[in-house]
Amino acid sequence: MRAVIGLQQPLSGSVETELARGDVGILFQDDALLPWKRARDNVALGLVFNGVERRKALAEAEAWLARLGLAGFGDRFPRQLSGGQRKRVALAQVLAMKPKLLLMDEPFASLDAIVRARVVKDLVALVELERISVLLVTHDLEEAISLSDEIYLLSQGPRARIIRHYAIPIPRPRDPVLSRTHPAFAPLYEKLWADLSREVDHRAEAA
Amino acid sequence: MPEKLRDNWVRQAWLRQLFALVVLLAIWEAIGRAGMLNPLYLPTPSRIGATLFELFADGRIWPHLEATFSAALGGLALGIAVGIVLGVAAALVPFLAELLEPVMTVLNAVPRVILAPLFVIWLGIGIASKIALSFILVAVLIFFTVFTGIRQVDRRIVERVITLGGDRWALVRHVYLPSVAAWILSNLKIAVGFAFTGALVGEFVAATHGLGYLLSFAQSTYNAALMFAIIAVILAVVLLIFIVAGRLEKYLLRWY
Repeated sequence: MRAVIGLQQPLSGSVETELARGDVGILFQDDALLPWKRARDNVALGLVFNGVERRKALAEAEAWLARLGLAGFGDRFPRQLSGGQRKRVALAQVLAMKPKLLLMDEPFASLDAIVRARVVKDLVALVELERISVLLVTHDLEEAISLSDEIYLLSQGPRARIIRHYAIPIPRPRDPVLSRTHPAFAPLYEKLWADLSREVDHRAEAA
Repeated sequence: MPEKLRDNWVRQAWLRQLFALVVLLAIWEAIGRAGMLNPLYLPTPSRIGATLFELFADGRIWPHLEATFSAALGGLALGIAVGIVLGVAAALVPFLAELLEPVMTVLNAVPRVILAPLFVIWLGIGIASKIALSFILVAVLIFFTVFTGIRQVDRRIVERVITLGGDRWALVRHVYLPSVAAWILSNLKIAVGFAFTGALVGEFVAATHGLGYLLSFAQSTYNAALMFAIIAVILAVVLLIFIVAGRLEKYLLRWY
């Protein structure tokens, strides 16, 4: 992921993409909002960097905050927001850039279950609406199945490689909670878990 | 006790502190009046208060206050400016860090006031030697604040700004400057204390003006009342600056 967004040079191989760097957004595991900027200014940051006039950028930032359920929170500093709210601000910050590809590295790991479910639900709705591609890295099999159209199982690192590919037949638009009750969910989960366990066991024996 | 007063008494710690101070002064006064304290060593609060009043009433204090203030604030401003420049330079240029860090570490380790006599030889007994001492005290503190601060900037924030399309200038403006400002502000009170230490010690060593000079004059004439009066003035001045610095810190670091 760091290679895709250009934070790191790949040791080998290359990144092939038709997207400009500005078309790729990334959401880290722990939100890194600028603590000295209000929520509104944090969201507007990317727009300002890309030459949007400040006043317009701030208005757009407010609109994004509202879409993520944070209308009226624009004046708050990150310290004054809850974990879930901060995650929403970080999300707004990335989505405001109108990315075509969104990279997420266990973005919701730090949230508790209920907050997590609600943020994920809003994110899925926005992603489906704006037709954004998402590349999500997660250890959570349920999250992987309920959110994705395709899953690539990676071997244990370092030097992880793709060991398996799965297509997820759950139709869109999806509700990330209800999609867990889809008939395809349970068998997929079982298969994914079995493959993952084998990989982990295999490694444990080798060590 | 009326309802409101009792309410305040319970809630406001400073009221209780003030009360304790008044009681302490009253006891001191009483013991002094009873003749149990030698006024040569420990004059009564009322005697000190009278000396304090005289200092201001005949206007004798003003040139001294002005001298100390100018030296301390001059040293503070210069020390902060030079500390920032050197700190930033060392953080950005590894070669400069190699040169500056050992010098600063030594300066940080020794009590820098040992330089006071040297500054008097170099710069004379005027205000320049006091500014210099005040400056060296502050500059080393600010240098380390900025130098270690820049190195400890949260990598995640830096990467966030880069992935949002921020360039080098954006990083300086939106990440490094606010961080550095925050560290300096949180050390501002210490810097103010250092600045006054420098000015006062400098005046102690050799001067014609200043509260430090007045103190050493009081010492040479065995005038304890004058000493206490000057100490009270210094306390009041530094307390005032602390309050201003505290307000400033609270406002500018309201996100913290």
